[in-house]
Amino acid sequence: MYRIEIDRSLCSGFGSCAELASRSFFLGPDGIAAVHEAETDDDAVLEAAAACPMGAIAVYDERGRQAA
Amino acid sequence: MKTDPTFWILARSSGLLAYALLTSSVLAGLVLKSRPFGTALKAATVADLHRFLAMLGLGAVLAHASALVLDSTVHIGIGSLLVPGLAPYRPLWTGLGVLAAELMVVVYASFSLRKRIGARNWRRLHWATYLIFALATVHGLTAGTDSSQPWALGLYGGAVGAVVAATAWRALVPPTKGESRVPHRDRPVAV
Repeated sequence: MYRIEIDRSLCSGFGSCAELASRSFFLGPDGIAAVHEAETDDDAVLEAAAACPMGAIAVYDERGRQAA
Repeated sequence: MKTDPTFWILARSSGLLAYALLTSSVLAGLVLKSRPFGTALKAATVADLHRFLAMLGLGAVLAHASALVLDSTVHIGIGSLLVPGLAPYRPLWTGLGVLAAELMVVVYASFSLRKRIGARNWRRLHWATYLIFALATVHGLTAGTDSSQPWALGLYGGAVGAVVAATAWRALVPPTKGESRVPHRDRPVAV
């Protein structure tokens, strides 16, 4: 299980996360990334966080350690 | 004794290379911002390319500066690389180049500091890129030895034309925002 945090001030709405992990991320009406659920078991969120051009996504594992 | 032209040639070629890389990085940045190719180009890939080209551009600027110091055709010391207008050779026009290079370093470094200075300030600072491009263009045209050559004019003209066109696209074509970029089946049922 992963916990996702998005820094909304950093997000520039490039949509990489929604492309790579569409089960978890989408771009909201304001063009800023949002998550369907703050906690997920979708491994694709790791890749999405790593690929974010602005580094706006943090993913934490069950122990609260930053996984991506 | 005949002076060795190696460093002078290196200074000219690295200057032109730096300009070409700066232009490419600016264009990649504009593509990243306005997404003219939609999802055909991944944002993460374009962002990597944008930063990589900027880094290569800074490397070419460093080579340009080093070659000018090592060269004996013009007498440019370390001090005149740091203070705009101090160089004895075309001081105003070389000074514009120094200013452009210093702003390039600031904008490049600001990406790593974006969390500390805040995303809004980072974006504001990025507007300086237009000034950098303008300064670099004027510097190249006025201080460059090769500026009267048709191929050099072609380079400058092509670069300015491409950046103006990409900027016009950014200003005039509304970016695809929000859910329209996400495939329909992936849209949330309820938010």
